[in-house]
Amino acid sequence: MQWRPEIHFERRLKPPRWLGVATPPIAVIVALAIGALVLWASGRDPVDIYQRMVRSAFTNPGAFSNTLIAATPLLLTGLAAAITFRMKVWNIGADGQLMIGAVLAAAAGTYFGGQGLAGVMTLMILAGIVGGCVWAAIAALLRVYMNTNEVLTTLMLNYIAPLILFYLIFDSTSYWRDLSSQSARVFPQAKTLATEAFWPEYGTTVVVPFGFILGAALAVALFFVVRSTRFGFQMRVSADSPAAGRYAGIRTGRLLILVMLLSGALAGIAGASQIGDVSHRLEPKNLQLAVFGYTGIAVAALVRYHPLSIIVSAILVGALNNAGFNLQGPDLPLGLIGVNQGIILLLVAASEVTARYRLVIGRRSRRCDRGPPDGEAAEASATDGAAAEQSDGGATS
Amino acid sequence: MTAAGAPTRDQDRHTVSARGVTKAFPGVVANDGVDFDADRGEVHALLGENGSGKTTLCKILTGLYRPDAGQVLVGGDPVAFRSPADAYEAGIFMVHQHFSLVSSMTVAENVVLGWHRDKGRVFNRRQVEEEVARAAERFDMHVDPRAIISRLSVGERQRVEILKAFYRGARTLILDEPTSVLTPQESEQLFVSLRRMASEGEAVVFISHKLDEVSALCDRVTVLRQGQVSGSADLRTTSVDARGLARMMVGRDIAFSRRSRSQPVGEGEPALELRNVSAVDDDGTTALEDVTLSVRPGEILGVAGVAGNGQVALGEVIAGLRRSTSGDVRLRGEPLPPGNPRAASDRGLAYVPEDRIGTGLAPGLTVADNCVLKSYRQRQLGRGPFLVKPRILARTQRLLEAFNVKGTADSLVRQLSGGNAQKVLLAREISSEPQVLVVATPTRGLDVSAMESIRKLLLEAAARGAAILLISEDLAEILDLADRIAVISRGRIQGVLEADGTDPEQVGVLMMGGSLEDAGAVAP
Amino acid sequence: MNESLFVDLLAAGLLYGTPLVLAGLGELLAERSGVMNLGVEAMMLMGAVTAFWFVQSFEGPGWLALLLAILLAALVGTAMATVYAFAVVTLRANQVVSGLALLILGGAAGLSSYLAAIGNLSGPAARFKLPTYDVLGLSDVPIVGPLIFGQNALVYVSWLLVALTAFYLYRTQTGLHLQAVGEDPRSADAMGINVSRYRYGHTMVGGALAGVAGSYYTLELQPAWIDGITAGAGWIAIALVITAFWRPGLLLTGAYLFGIVTSLGFTLQARGVDLPPEIFTSLPYVLTILAVVLVSSGWSRLRFNAPAALGEPYSREEA
Repeated sequence: MQWRPEIHFERRLKPPRWLGVATPPIAVIVALAIGALVLWASGRDPVDIYQRMVRSAFTNPGAFSNTLIAATPLLLTGLAAAITFRMKVWNIGADGQLMIGAVLAAAAGTYFGGQGLAGVMTLMILAGIVGGCVWAAIAALLRVYMNTNEVLTTLMLNYIAPLILFYLIFDSTSYWRDLSSQSARVFPQAKTLATEAFWPEYGTTVVVPFGFILGAALAVALFFVVRSTRFGFQMRVSADSPAAGRYAGIRTGRLLILVMLLSGALAGIAGASQIGDVSHRLEPKNLQLAVFGYTGIAVAALVRYHPLSIIVSAILVGALNNAGFNLQGPDLPLGLIGVNQGIILLLVAASEVTARYRLVIGRRSRRCDRGPPDGEAAEASATDGAAAEQSDGGATS
Repeated sequence: MTAAGAPTRDQDRHTVSARGVTKAFPGVVANDGVDFDADRGEVHALLGENGSGKTTLCKILTGLYRPDAGQVLVGGDPVAFRSPADAYEAGIFMVHQHFSLVSSMTVAENVVLGWHRDKGRVFNRRQVEEEVARAAERFDMHVDPRAIISRLSVGERQRVEILKAFYRGARTLILDEPTSVLTPQESEQLFVSLRRMASEGEAVVFISHKLDEVSALCDRVTVLRQGQVSGSADLRTTSVDARGLARMMVGRDIAFSRRSRSQPVGEGEPALELRNVSAVDDDGTTALEDVTLSVRPGEILGVAGVAGNGQVALGEVIAGLRRSTSGDVRLRGEPLPPGNPRAASDRGLAYVPEDRIGTGLAPGLTVADNCVLKSYRQRQLGRGPFLVKPRILARTQRLLEAFNVKGTADSLVRQLSGGNAQKVLLAREISSEPQVLVVATPTRGLDVSAMESIRKLLLEAAARGAAILLISEDLAEILDLADRIAVISRGRIQGVLEADGTDPEQVGVLMMGGSLEDAGAVAP
Repeated sequence: MNESLFVDLLAAGLLYGTPLVLAGLGELLAERSGVMNLGVEAMMLMGAVTAFWFVQSFEGPGWLALLLAILLAALVGTAMATVYAFAVVTLRANQVVSGLALLILGGAAGLSSYLAAIGNLSGPAARFKLPTYDVLGLSDVPIVGPLIFGQNALVYVSWLLVALTAFYLYRTQTGLHLQAVGEDPRSADAMGINVSRYRYGHTMVGGALAGVAGSYYTLELQPAWIDGITAGAGWIAIALVITAFWRPGLLLTGAYLFGIVTSLGFTLQARGVDLPPEIFTSLPYVLTILAVVLVSSGWSRLRFNAPAALGEPYSREEA
């Protein structure tokens, strides 16, 4: 019989620890290598470009501060993705939620601009939360009460949200639009925040925006919520098995809505931080092009949706974005950063298999031939002597 | 007795043989040097307890597993099946306990599925339907070729599986515990068909652990125990000693715990009561119709029936996981709010669902997490909104010791064996000292010792005064454990019998939808 | 509504609906096999950019340039679908995450934009545009003439493909096997049907069709390049498959309905209707949400024939 190479899987009962640690760096390195290949194939010098990327993301004066600014929205959208994706609820709508959050935060910021920083910031953050929650609630309610696939609804809402921004700034004379000067009436732009309402920054050599600190604090809080609270327990049970969740008396529909709202709130805070920390006014085109929401999913997936690690992966992906933005031009078209991030996400998704299975290529393991079907028997002898047959599950006595 | 290890190269006689087949899974040797022959023209029983390696052997014979050592021979020649498709080519077909039927398709479509005789050709529906009808007639197994599988009863689906085998030219038919899903009467009918097949020169391998069936149907018997052939007999020439077979099968004289019927049970007000409960399935079809039942403290009420007759919905409605469309469920006289599992469990109802791993337990969480799956809200387990891990671990440790579970608090539930997982589930439910315990198919798929410990746990819970509703497809188990038996068929309770002195045949009539008068029983 | 507006709307619906028909058919085949191909949008964009690049740089007759450009787009779509199938079928990766990865990788801010940038594709219009035909000389017949007999080649291809797909699904043995794989891969496998092969094959064909659908944008609809030119049409195609209950005929109808809605802005504005453009632009997305809500809730769910194993990876060793 001829030898045919084949890939097959042996089921793991518990993923080894080192895998979770090893996967992210490997994914990043492979993605960068493929990116280098793309650069090389299109006639660029990858070594030179990567060196410049490292400089402009980390070592140049002020570079790391800019990386942190770039990381801030990704940290928040990463957390937004993490809490829903953990529960296998696919909120892909962080982009739209961020934009609507930004709209309301911009309104709050311009309206209450001169009334003391702490008060304005609180109101902006609350407004961002409300905006993000409203946009997330549409998909959440449709999912729970109308059984509608949230992937499609959140995606469509992502396409609708920027249209609202465009309308507010370019096609109407809304509150958000700056109508104070002649030039602003010809070239539409949004009202700018009063300088007293700009969010603070901390540090001298490395400047940390307030939004990043807020995001990091939320990451820590989320970590403890998931790990040690009753609410987190409900999340973990429902994530592992929704049927077990219902059985345990968890109101799974309510939980799902709560989690979606929490996710929308985090994305909305990211929107508020964009206004308060970065642009200080609503910039529809930049927000649309930035795709913070999709990138946030890559950030979260890279570290398997672990809240604390998202801080690190947000800085890493933020660095990539920052470098890409600085070097943007004929040498480094912006699309390359997307290629890198896409490959990282694809590799992480594909590597998920290694957590659940041991990959065997080309040879059949002697021990475990396509079975036993559901792993029950794997430890059978170690426990009560059941044999492989029981795992069929259908035998009656 | 066949001489082990003496391969016969008799091409006419042997259809399929195993020689020295060994197959190991991590931690278990499922088959250890097994020899087996299925001859043409005979019904050959493969007898053994759960976990004795019967199914593994048959999966090797049909190409689903490959043996670690030893050989499969067809017509005396060694073969190496890579997949079930190779086994079909050699005329070997297996009817699994889980049927391989696409439920949204018709009988005819299922019969030709994956059969490449007409490869590339346009699918000629009418021709296939006629062929299926002819095959059905030949073996006296009536099914409508145009019927959609999901509308058929389990017995009918089994017939489709068998037809499928013969449509594809099967010469050897292996049936894995085929009667476990049938009523006694349906089983009789199946036996007639199987005998006819054998008389037409086919080989039938009949996997079972029921001695009476084997002696009623089979020509030869091979007994497996712990992966090895522990004996065989030709039932045409030797007279059967049932006890001898049983000892070969089990290795010791085993007697399961039974309900002692001497003490009076079931005094006082019913602890659980269903009044005219109806419910529908997810797809809108009727699941329960006007069900009225009651269980008193300390009583075990068995619900017997063929799988798929509303048992799942019954458990779910009582536990609050499915809303009833009418009627109500009462605990100690108080109606339960419908569709509220938390209220049910707070009021003293414990539920062991049929789907243990996935519903009753969260497989990816630790044993400790699963031990507090329902009680995590209790104040003594936490501080404010936080859960206190040492307290959870302490409780888990107590449960594991009290219920003799082999496993640690931080191992994942999916790492446990089936028996231990079920013990964790029962430990959690029973330790909440429930007034009412609803258990569905509690011992299915478990090995003998686990089965016995589960039975003991149930009897002890009843002795402590819990009202137990035992929903099971295993009639023998119900006859052993229950005080009264309610028989369910197509979502209706056909009748309630006193377990003492009940004839399985009577229960069978009710399981098929007959009435108490048909069964000739005296209502209690 | 007067007659010429009606005809205009229908014509525009056909024009804008055709890429949805092509991409939707591809998605339908993939989903029938149980694979939810969430990479359609990215595959369309990659098809669009490569087809456009080819037409701009190919030295030769126009018809050959167009033909090869479409084939190249199909090839690129197939290649991406192969990557996707490897991830979700062989490696059993999560389909949502993998689909998003493909979107980021090939999407508006990814490879398609990169290729357009290094190829200097932004700006100039396509050198060749899909020709329209005058079938049987009947394109002058009022109303039906231009609609049925005066379309471009890809429209006729899409009609042919709808008919072929319907025949394939309902009248051939392979089509029957495909449905079994999507409904119940375990049974299909037990019956000797190679589940992985069916899933790979149909996902790849789906990718090819998505690539062709993308090329329709740069060769016909707006024959030029802008980043993210398909503007979510890939996702709308996925939604269409659901709302068409996985049936080719309904898909065709639904696609033209969406085409009409997409083009409503242009048609009405040409007639002097003055509303903010964002309202028209958002219509297809709003309609998508409404359509998906409608088919997934209550009464219609009972008649829903979603492939039962849609989105679920299959492996023999898992019960």
